[in-house]
This record gives sequence, C-alpha cells and structure tokens, in this order.
Amino acid sequence: MTGLRVAVGGKEILTGLDLCVRAGEVHAIMGPNGSGKSTLAHVLAGRDGYEVTAGSALYRGQDLLAMPPEERARAGVFLGFQYPIEIPGVSNAYLLRSALNARRSARGDGQIDAVGFLRLVKEKARLMQMDESFLQRGVNEGFSGGEKKRNEVFQMAVLEPLLAILDETDSGLDIDALKVVANGVNSLRHAERAFVLITHYQRLLDYIRPDYVHVLAGGRIVRTGDRTLALDLEAGGYDQFVPAAIA
Amino acid sequence: MTRTTVQQSVKGEKSVRPPWRVAAEQTRLDTPGLAWLAGRQAAARARMMQSGLPEPGEEDWRYTSLAGYTQRWNEYLSAPAQAVVPKAPDPSRPRPPDAGPGITVNIVDGVLRSPPIGIAPGLTIQSLRQLTPGLRARAESLLQKADKTTPDKLVDLNTALLGDAILIATDPGSCPPEPIHVRLQSETARALGQPRLLIDVAANSRLTVILEHTGVRGALVNAVNQICLGRGSQLNLMRVQTLPDDGMLLETTELELGESASVTVTSVDLGGQLCRQALTVLLAGTGADATVNGVFLADGQRHIDNHTRLVHQAPATTSREFFRGIADGHGRGVFNGKIVVLPGAAGSNANLTNRNLLLCPTAEIDTKPELEIYVDDVRCSHGATTGQLDANALFYLRSRGLDPAVARQVLTSAFLREGLSGIAIPELRLRLETQLQARLGGEPVATQPGAAA
Repeated sequence: MTGLRVAVGGKEILTGLDLCVRAGEVHAIMGPNGSGKSTLAHVLAGRDGYEVTAGSALYRGQDLLAMPPEERARAGVFLGFQYPIEIPGVSNAYLLRSALNARRSARGDGQIDAVGFLRLVKEKARLMQMDESFLQRGVNEGFSGGEKKRNEVFQMAVLEPLLAILDETDSGLDIDALKVVANGVNSLRHAERAFVLITHYQRLLDYIRPDYVHVLAGGRIVRTGDRTLALDLEAGGYDQFVPAAIA
Repeated sequence: MTRTTVQQSVKGEKSVRPPWRVAAEQTRLDTPGLAWLAGRQAAARARMMQSGLPEPGEEDWRYTSLAGYTQRWNEYLSAPAQAVVPKAPDPSRPRPPDAGPGITVNIVDGVLRSPPIGIAPGLTIQSLRQLTPGLRARAESLLQKADKTTPDKLVDLNTALLGDAILIATDPGSCPPEPIHVRLQSETARALGQPRLLIDVAANSRLTVILEHTGVRGALVNAVNQICLGRGSQLNLMRVQTLPDDGMLLETTELELGESASVTVTSVDLGGQLCRQALTVLLAGTGADATVNGVFLADGQRHIDNHTRLVHQAPATTSREFFRGIADGHGRGVFNGKIVVLPGAAGSNANLTNRNLLLCPTAEIDTKPELEIYVDDVRCSHGATTGQLDANALFYLRSRGLDPAVARQVLTSAFLREGLSGIAIPELRLRLETQLQARLGGEPVATQPGAAA
C-alpha cells in the first residue's frame, strides 16, 4: 500500500498509509479507537462506501482496489470480520463449500467432492475445537461472540488464503478461546501466507508472535517496530506515539 | 384508470342483477343428506343476495379487488350444478410419494372423494352428507360459529351454495399418531369450488393437519375452514397453497381456542393469480396460545393477500406471529395483521412481526400491522419492515468469494426458507423448499443435516 487515502462519507479516515506485507510475514496493526484500523480492513476486502481518494494497493502485482470483493476472495484475500454477520437459513457448510469451490475454480482446480469436503472441514473443526453439528446450522446463527470469531478463523483455515486480514478477531474472547484462535492462526503460518492482525490489545501477541508491529494513528502508520513495540504500547499507551498535531 | 373503470362496471351490474345472482336464487337447497342444513343455507343465501361480493370500497378489501374477475365469477357461479357424488377410490391417483406419512383425505370440488383409509382410533373423518347422528351436534356447533352479527359475505356464499362439508373430529384425549393430509383440489374446470372444512379438536387431544390447495387452470375457489380446539388440546395446522398461475383462492379460516389450548399455524402461498386468506384466531379460553407463521412469494403477476386477526378474549392468552413475504416482478403482497386484546384478556402477551423483501421496483408490498388494546396489563409488540436484502450479509458472502447474483439468490431463498422451519414434516418441507428454490433459481442451500455436504 502506498500513500493510501480513504474517505468515508466525505471524511478522510486513512490519510496516506504506507505498508508492505511480504509472503510469510505476520504484521500486527495496533492503534487507538478511530485511528482507521477497521477502515483499512474493509478497504482491503472491498466493502462499499469507502472512497479511495489517493494512493494504491497492489496484491501480487495486481491492482487490488480495482477488484470486486468476490474476486479478491478468490485470489486469496480473506477478511476475518470484527462483527461476523448472522445469516439464518444459509448453512455454514453451504457457505464454506461455495467459498472453497469459488477459490478452487479461480486457481484452476476442480470442485471438491463431498467426501473430500467433509474430511477437510472435520479436520479444521477439530483444530478449532468446534462441534461439527454447527456446520448444518445457519451461518453464525445464535453463535456467541466468541463462537463467531472462532468460526471466522475456522473459515480461514478451510479456505487457506494467501493474505489473511483479521479485524479485531481477539476482542470479546476469553483466554481459552483466545488460545484456540491463536493456535488456529499459528497452525496456518506458512512461507506463502501473510497475516495482518488488527488488534486493540497486546494480549493476542502473547500467543501469535508478529514479525512487525505498526502503530496506526490519525489514519497512517506512525511507528513500526518488532514485537517489543507492542509491549511498550501496553506499558505507555498510544499517546506516546500519536503526534501532537493529530492527537 | 383500469381499476376505476372496472369498479364502475361492477356497480353497474348490480342494478341489472348479475347472472350469478339469478343462478344462486335458482339453486335448490336439497342436496341429498344436507336437508338438515336447508334453513341455514336459505338464511345465508338471503343475506348474500343483499350483500353481494366484497367490494373495493370495503376497508378489508382496499388492496385486493375482485373487480377484475367479475366475468369469471358470473360464468362459474352460473354453471349448472355438478353432480356432486362421492366417487370410489381412484386407483389412478396414488398417494403422492412426497406426501410423507399420514392419512390422505382427497376433497375434490368440495366433495370428499373417497372414504379415507387407515383412520386411527379416536379420529373421525366424515362427509356432512353421511354424518353419523352422534356427530351432527359437533358439526352444527362449528357451523353456528359463523352466525355473527356482522355476517361474512364469503362465508355466506359458501354456506348458501354448499355441496358438502367435511368434518374431522378427534375424541377427547386422543392423539392420532400420523398427520392428516387434506388435499383440496378443483377438478371441474369453470365451476366455483366451495370446500368447507370443519375441524373439531376435542379436549386434551392432539392433531396435525396439512391443508393443501391445488387445482386446475382457471380455478376459482371460495374455501371456508372452521376449527375449534377444546380445553388443553393441540393442533399443528400447515396450510399450503400451490394453485396454477391463473388460479384464484379466497379462503376464510376461523380458529377458536378453549382453555389452555394451543395451535401452531404455518401458512404458505406459492401459487395462484389472486389469493386472499382471512385468518382469525380467537383465544377464547384462559391460557390459550397461538403461533402463526406465514410465507408468501408474490412473483410474476401474483397477488397475495393475508389478513390475519388474533383476538385475545380470555386472560393470560399468548400469541406470536411472524409473516414474511417476497414481491418480485409485477407481484403484489398484502399483509394486514391485527391484534385485538379485549377487556377480559388481562395478562396477555402478543407479538407480531412482518418482514418483506422487495426484489424489484415494479413489485409492491402493502403492509399494515394493527393493535387494538382495551385493557391494561398486557404486553404487545408489533413491527413491519419492507426492504431490500441486507447489505452486510451480501458483503459477507461476497467476501467469501460468492458471486453477487448467487449471494442475492442465496439470501432471498434463505429468507423464505426460515418461514418454513415450523413445518414439522420433513417430506413436506423439502418439497416446499425445492419449489421455492426452483422459483428463485439456484441450487439448494438447505440447513438440513446432510443436505449441504
């Protein structure tokens, strides 16, 4: 991402963001409320209502911002939602299978057969410590906050994206659920796969060790460091990194 | 403009006595076996001659006009009376394989086609023309419930020209294990169908009934159902309408619930050109409970109108109602849901929700939830929404790689399918889901175990 500026309803939220994420890396983006963290996640996933006024985002050499959301997903971009949507009447199994087949056909692979699909989701459900019965229930229907987040990581595990953006996946989780989620992410770390973890708290980074930590404030990255930066943030708060002009 | 012209023509016909009135006057009230009803029929006919058919000026008929169908009414009502003789079982009409378990009752053109087979102990299914004497009192007490200070025009029409009626009755405390599948069919073309169904669920008994309307092309049906639930009884009523695209159904259903009785109604409208259901639930006994769910798909040129009225008469009665509808193409959906809480109904609880999806600008939905509360100490809530698909859900599906068109279709059918969740017979639910899916396009996305994997 180079010089990315994004406005929502005429108000500029991202004010010139530069970020480079390479395959195999884990980046954590931290920042106070209203700093633009979720806007960044949504813009990368292609949500309506975000106006890119300047800058660019390249994904594997392609203009990411020109692609509709479903094409980004098929090309391997995954957004773990901060507030996953409940869709009664559409089963988790149906969603996953459609999503997986969309991704496979984009790669030139054939449709997955029923047996292969079942084997895959069972394996990943075990990884995420989820009861298989949830597969036949409506998408996130009646799930607790923690279950929804776990379901996001479960979907990611099945879809095996190349770039996973997890938007505050840790918020609202108790410590046991946090460990399950972190374990799910860690098991997917791979030389081909990059993660962008958007988080408010340092806690997640006790379990997922990032290669880089960025501080987002006032719509751009004001500081980049290794994981010790997260500890500094925990100790001293965000104020120390927010330029006076912005704060 | 069209409507104004047609209205005028209806009014004009009044003065010159439309043919159907003449025909109705000449109908002889001597159907074999129904002589005991002649007095009631004559009274209904006299009222009907005065009142005629529902007209667009009436508040309950504001959005649904019969005016465009005057010719069909005249022709069908003037048709010579059919020889309404119960026929022997027809071996060429086997039980449909997708009917699921249960007892099938075929009612063709209002007449019980053949004696149902496999009646369970404690259950009676009889034509009123061949009613065992002991049951006449039960039938009469149900028929009497239609005698009101403000008579209903369509019920009067049905009574006046009655060819037969079918009584389904349980014994107190009985629990027939299998559902009763009542198939209401019209077979004779160009004649008015007038099915009349009486269901008497005795105290502490339990019954499951599927009421399915099908018919020939051009069907015109004026159906009346009168249902009574005794103390502590339970009824699960599934009503399904899949008429041909040019079929017309007017249906009046009245349920009366005694003390601690409980009913679940699921109403599904998928077919027809014009369908109007007037459903009244009277919670007449203390602690009576009603769940009413409805689903309609008003696509193409379809006009589907559901008028529901839940009347809380007794203390501590509870009701919940959820109607959902889709309008597409040039379709039009009408929903009017009224909750009345009368002075005697302290401690009652009522909830009404209507959600609609408008899939294109040429479709129309008219919705009106109404509360009429005459007592304190009740909890009532109601809400109605009409809108497009949820943008958040659409984005969620797209962000997982689903094509926008597929995502829309998936959400649309999921919305309607949710309304079918109360249908407790898997074979029937699957059949309806399949029909819905075919109409909305796309592949099945059922949430049933095994269906997706």
